[in-house]
Amino acid sequence: MSRSSYLKPDTVALHTGYVPESDHGSRAVPIYQTTSYVFGSVSEGSSLFNVEQGGHIYSRITNPTVAVLEQRIAALEGGSGAICSASGMSALFMTFITLCSAGDHLVSATQIYGSTATLLKHTIKRLGIDCSFVPINDAEALRGAIKPNTKLVFCESIGNPGLEIADIPGIAAIAHEAGIPLVVDATFATPSLCRPIDHGADVVVHSVTKWIGGHGVAVGGAIVDGGRFDWQQSGRFPELTEPYAPFHGIRFWEEFGPSALVMKMRAESMRDIGATMSPHNAFLILQGLETLSLRMKQHVANARQLLDWLQRQESVTWTNYPDLESNPSHQLAATLFPDGAGSMLCFGVVGGRAGGAAFIDSLQLSSNLANVGDARTLVLHPASTTHSRLTVDDMKAAGISEDMIRVSVGLEDIADIKADFSRGFKAAERVAGAA
Amino acid sequence: MYLEVRGLETYAATGGKEFDPALPTVMFVHGSGLDHRSWALQTRWFAYNGYAVLAPDLPGHSLSAGEPLETIEEMGAWLADFIRAAGVDRVHAIGHSQGFLDVLELAEVAPEMLKSITGVGTAGAIPVNPALIEAAAQSAGNAAEMLLMWGFGPDAQYGISAVPGMQPIAIGRQIMAANPLYEDLVACANYTRGSEVAQSLDLPAQLILARKDRLTPVKAGMAFAEELGAQVTIIERYGHMLPIEAPRQTLQKLRELIGSMEVGEREAG
Repeated sequence: MSRSSYLKPDTVALHTGYVPESDHGSRAVPIYQTTSYVFGSVSEGSSLFNVEQGGHIYSRITNPTVAVLEQRIAALEGGSGAICSASGMSALFMTFITLCSAGDHLVSATQIYGSTATLLKHTIKRLGIDCSFVPINDAEALRGAIKPNTKLVFCESIGNPGLEIADIPGIAAIAHEAGIPLVVDATFATPSLCRPIDHGADVVVHSVTKWIGGHGVAVGGAIVDGGRFDWQQSGRFPELTEPYAPFHGIRFWEEFGPSALVMKMRAESMRDIGATMSPHNAFLILQGLETLSLRMKQHVANARQLLDWLQRQESVTWTNYPDLESNPSHQLAATLFPDGAGSMLCFGVVGGRAGGAAFIDSLQLSSNLANVGDARTLVLHPASTTHSRLTVDDMKAAGISEDMIRVSVGLEDIADIKADFSRGFKAAERVAGAA
Repeated sequence: MYLEVRGLETYAATGGKEFDPALPTVMFVHGSGLDHRSWALQTRWFAYNGYAVLAPDLPGHSLSAGEPLETIEEMGAWLADFIRAAGVDRVHAIGHSQGFLDVLELAEVAPEMLKSITGVGTAGAIPVNPALIEAAAQSAGNAAEMLLMWGFGPDAQYGISAVPGMQPIAIGRQIMAANPLYEDLVACANYTRGSEVAQSLDLPAQLILARKDRLTPVKAGMAFAEELGAQVTIIERYGHMLPIEAPRQTLQKLRELIGSMEVGEREAG
């Protein structure tokens, strides 16, 4: 197990990175709503700019409130450090462009979030970075896709929305054989259910907008450096091992070792791209993080109860949840997610695409929107929203069907969620009956 | 930079600037299972403020080749060879924890190479619990956990970090788990000459101690300072890992002593 704190996870979530400050004794983490920080002297300012000492210069790069969130997430994931960003997508973008340059290549799982697929397939391609997509648990396909210029393997610990569990230990072993790191988007799991670094991942990315924030009030992302990958030995990452001209020729690996990646990302991506998390958003997300494990237990309990009930409904044509024995990932889910594989589930309803639409439109309690991981139950029709930019073939490869309803199971009383869904099934049945 | 010491490739951090042996040189020696990175928040300041910096990885540690040295006496002799290989006549030597025991032995065998000695979070002897040595024999990672749980002070245990967003415990663990911690701990445990060497030295010396140090407690450090005739500074609130936990305060004290000595030397002519 990778450790970055000797406190237990529930204590880390409440305390790490902050002790009550001396001037006012604020028990809660204060919101440092400031752009910049006064230097005690010209010499001090100079030494901060030259990384001779740690500290804050400008809130695009670091901020004390954001730093508390970063340290808590790093500690919960067992990483050497973390960077929070404006969104999960900016966290992914910064990770990819820190590790890849024009002419490089990466390998990604096929079953990933639609916007991430678009980023990999189209946006970074314009920067000269190519991506191959493979069924991520197919070891031979993964091995075959890795080329001399491949810089990383990417997957989601629980694929969105197909809910495929990535075999993190197996994928990490293949990536490491080739001398490249494994980057895992662990948004659907959170460190409360699975810590990818413990299973061999090298970098973990989150959209903290989702379960970590947990209340649907703030957008943000996080990148955690596992600290174990040997960038020097790999020989594929001169940007981390050779002199970096914009910073007095600093060699990040030599100087910082286990925190080389986050230091490079801070020095380059936060400076040049500026996808900064606001201190107010960090504060809001901290409020969510403090109760993460309690909420995840209830999310999982509600998801399992709802799944059990859905399987007994005549209007439901199929169900999918990683714990299901019919799911090919069932055994992996049991191994990697002993406390439950999240609170996302999918199902189909009678009446196909029209039945699905009728189901969603008749719901009153559950919200039809493009987010997951809220305290409230959320539903979505991926084929017409998040994954609408994909072709039918790409949708199929991503594990999506036209009748799929995606549910992010919330924390309401399960009886009320079932009652709401019963209303939806009646609407779907009417459509199916009329067809 | 890399240089050859005793025929083996040896890494020494230079604080991010090209090493210039013509400048006053400050050498930083790491503690058990650690490497040059434990001095990351001191070396750059010296390198960019008129000094040449050498922060070697001892043999078999992190970026340096070779087998780990078995005794503190061997480490002291190796440091003398290292300084010669770097082409330097005299250095200010700073050691953290076991690193200062190495510096003591260097002072014993080659006092002419030293302008001053500074110990950070240290004492004249560093007894090691046999259970820790046993743990290190089985797994450097498990021993690192034990050592860091005791080594970092209370604020660091709560995740307070001098560098925003970083987790020093995780960084320390990664470095220690990959280094010959067992050999270093055995060398520490077997070293008993600290008091004897201290009393024979005639060098400017200072100790920077930590109030919450549970590995080399202040009491032991104070007793040793008396034998050494050293100035003592106690930094409140922090634990044994001072260069990482309290980098600014540690740097400030190093700047004061080494700066004043350099001024004195220049004025003397």
